[in-house]
Amino acid sequence: MSALLRIFGAPAILFARTLSAIRQRGVDRRATMVQLVEIGSNSSLLIVSGLAFFGAVMVTIAWAQTRKYTGNITVVGPAYFELMLREFAPLLVAILAASRVGASTSAELAAMSVNEQIEALELCAADPIAELVTPRFIASLIALPALMVIGTVAAAASARLVVTIVFGADGSAFTDARFVDATDILCAFVKAVFCGAFIPLAAAARGLKAKGGAPAVGEAVTAAVVDASMGCLLIDFVVAAAFLLIGV
Amino acid sequence: MIRALGAFGLGIARLTGALALVLARTALNLPRLDRRELFRSIVLFGYRSLPLALMAAMLIGSTVVLQAGVYAVKFGARLYTGWAAGYALTREFGPLLLGLVMAARIGARNAAELALLNVNGQIEGLRGISLDPFRILVAPRVVGSAVAITCLGSVTFLVAVCFEAVSSYFSLGLPLRVFFDSYQDMLRVGDLVGGLAKTLAFGLAIALVSTVAGLRAKGGAVGVGQAAASAVVLSCAAIFSLDLILTPFLTRLFG
Repeated sequence: MSALLRIFGAPAILFARTLSAIRQRGVDRRATMVQLVEIGSNSSLLIVSGLAFFGAVMVTIAWAQTRKYTGNITVVGPAYFELMLREFAPLLVAILAASRVGASTSAELAAMSVNEQIEALELCAADPIAELVTPRFIASLIALPALMVIGTVAAAASARLVVTIVFGADGSAFTDARFVDATDILCAFVKAVFCGAFIPLAAAARGLKAKGGAPAVGEAVTAAVVDASMGCLLIDFVVAAAFLLIGV
Repeated sequence: MIRALGAFGLGIARLTGALALVLARTALNLPRLDRRELFRSIVLFGYRSLPLALMAAMLIGSTVVLQAGVYAVKFGARLYTGWAAGYALTREFGPLLLGLVMAARIGARNAAELALLNVNGQIEGLRGISLDPFRILVAPRVVGSAVAITCLGSVTFLVAVCFEAVSSYFSLGLPLRVFFDSYQDMLRVGDLVGGLAKTLAFGLAIALVSTVAGLRAKGGAVGVGQAAASAVVLSCAAIFSLDLILTPFLTRLFG
């Protein structure tokens, strides 16, 4: 219970403060665009390659298993595509983004906070939350769903390629949207949006709290990445369970 | 364009060289590891990560069943949930997700500590009093974190399978006995060994990559943060590529 509070408590407070900062000070468009490049575009290589590898691996495992029990790998294709789109891609994209975005955000903010640059901002009558947290929050909220779409495409495409080229079977079943309906897509986007909101808040909460010298920066980064990835696992589980309970 | 390609190639060559160096010097120092540092790193990386690994195991187990259960019902294979969930867990999801979470915890921690020592010139200091930093700092950490992650992996699999059973009891109404019967009948020891081999490989990769990232750190507090961040990112990339290389190999080996 205390672990839950620790992971979600500080980000929740920061979320409330970010919302009030957005209401009072608005959103800095320019800074948001910079963060969008940093969070979205610079993470895309890691996410595309990671998900492409993952798609290939899952198909290799499915190949080994279907040969043993049913015989034809393309039977599992449509179900595989739905599972990838609804569950695996959002989960892995969120965890990869949590590592990448969580680490860079918390390292930057912790270094600023240790060097007392945050106090300097406050002295200039600027709100550190509006200057530093809001752009990252908005950018990650936009970037994560987009990254999830790119990652799903990469995973499905690599699955299809591996089946067609390596195993010599018909791979088109792996991009067959027969089982996909609106709730699958909704489920994926809900996960992406929640994780997108959570990751920068968790990282910023740890980064802004860093006190002391250089060791504090390393500790903040470690704690932020752990918080962000555990939080994303939890969000994923809760959303999946909620969609299962509604029965869609 | 050519310059960018060249810089990319150089970067990769440097990284591979550094990884090979750390691996070779660790192997050379294996017979005379610093015992105290080894135990310290096993406690730090293994025992202290236990709560995190257990929490991850609970979530992984329940999530895998939630995800696979829908399809088990759809294809009329409810009775095989135990096998499907167990197989997915030991062969793919257990090692992969545990590796990613441990990359965040152990990788970032190790890189931050080594980077801090490096930036403050303490590693130079060790060399100055003619102590080999690889023997007393690096080798025990690499061995310790690989051992720690493999042990955590076996505990994680056990806890996650229990949570899979409980979660399929609640979400699919599958009796526990049926779950464990299909688990026992259709899974072999090879599957478990394959999963643990994967975990060991991921652990070794995390240890090597984070050590290299830590030792390469330059320039003050910012360098420490950057080293920790790049350790996490590089470990994730290494885990995914190792996964791709190891899976066909292990499938052939253990069927």
